[in-house]
Amino acid sequence: MAGRRAALKAVDWVAFSERVPANQRGAFNALKARSDAIVARLASVPEAPAPIDWSYYRHAVARPGMAEDFERKFGALRIPEAVDTQTTAIDTREAEAEASARAYATESEDRVARYRAELEKFRNMIPFDRMTIGDLNDAFPETTLDKVKHPYWPHKAIADL
Amino acid sequence: MLSRAVILSANALKGRGHFGAGLVQASRSLHTTSQSLAPVPPLPEKGGKVRHGVFPEELFQLLYPKTGVTGPYMLGTGLLVYLLSKEVYIVNPESFAALSITSVIIYGVKTYGPSVAAFADKLNEDKVAKAQEVKDLAMASLAQAIEDEKKEQWRIEGRALLFDAKRNNVAMLLETNRRERIHMVNNEVKKRLDYQIALQQLHRNMEQEHMINWVEKNVVGSLTPQQEKESIAKCITDLKALALAKATA
Repeated sequence: MAGRRAALKAVDWVAFSERVPANQRGAFNALKARSDAIVARLASVPEAPAPIDWSYYRHAVARPGMAEDFERKFGALRIPEAVDTQTTAIDTREAEAEASARAYATESEDRVARYRAELEKFRNMIPFDRMTIGDLNDAFPETTLDKVKHPYWPHKAIADL
Repeated sequence: MLSRAVILSANALKGRGHFGAGLVQASRSLHTTSQSLAPVPPLPEKGGKVRHGVFPEELFQLLYPKTGVTGPYMLGTGLLVYLLSKEVYIVNPESFAALSITSVIIYGVKTYGPSVAAFADKLNEDKVAKAQEVKDLAMASLAQAIEDEKKEQWRIEGRALLFDAKRNNVAMLLETNRRERIHMVNNEVKKRLDYQIALQQLHRNMEQEHMINWVEKNVVGSLTPQQEKESIAKCITDLKALALAKATA
């Protein structure tokens, strides 16, 4: 029986707590509360019960053979353990989380690369007082004046002045 | 030298012109370099040097080797005298109008020139500052975004902890359940054995009581009236003897 019991892995709650984002704080607190309750319950139940004093019962119980019968049956008794239904589910969910985390990490890296490229573009830009309008329009495409849509100066809607 | 094409009182304005293309392109020598001298060289701090507001310094430098310092002035005076005396330029009422107007213009530029220049420069600088602000904001937000992404990636690394916690919970629940079952079995067995013992005790007590009652009943029943009288008489004599003994003691 001892071999089938999974060893408890020490969970570093402090490190865990640091990594929880603000919008999942409630869920984390609920989990921690549940875990603490479970730990407390486990601690409150003693490891093994007090052994039954068979010699006393052998003398005390008048019915012949009852105590021995009970003793024999008790010794031969195998208590069925509860079936573990959740661990496989947890493992599958962990695998899914692993996959999605990797996907997110790659996406995140792509985003970081894009941000870095834009940052480099900004850093390597010529200073504004050395730009021409053409250079400005190249660097910030949103500043180009649409001379087709507004053919007359100031080439933009009066409200945008 | 064509950059000195702004021979008007724009010389009173400080060097930086409009945020537009006109002045800048004029400062490039026309069609000497291949296209797109980028980035454009910066605008000069000050416009070309001039003397007396209108005459470019280059003229004086040009004439200096041959005629010295006073050369251009002599040229100017001689030119003026020639124009007047030969009546190439005729003095008429318009001349006085021109004189008055130019003097007013000169006065206006000298008094208000610097402030107007400052105002125009400020307009330009505001535009540049706004653009710079936009750029700085963009750069800061990008840097922040990179930081946030890195933080999110760090957060992800803690995912194992969640599942460990869950598995721990499951294991602990199972263990608790197992122990509780053992306890329950023990208690039940004990209860049954104790019940048997209690039952036995009850039987014995009941038997004892019953027997005592039966014995008492029989004894009381077996007492004949004759025996009762005798026992009462004996009691009375005993009591008398005791009372006597007590009285004398």
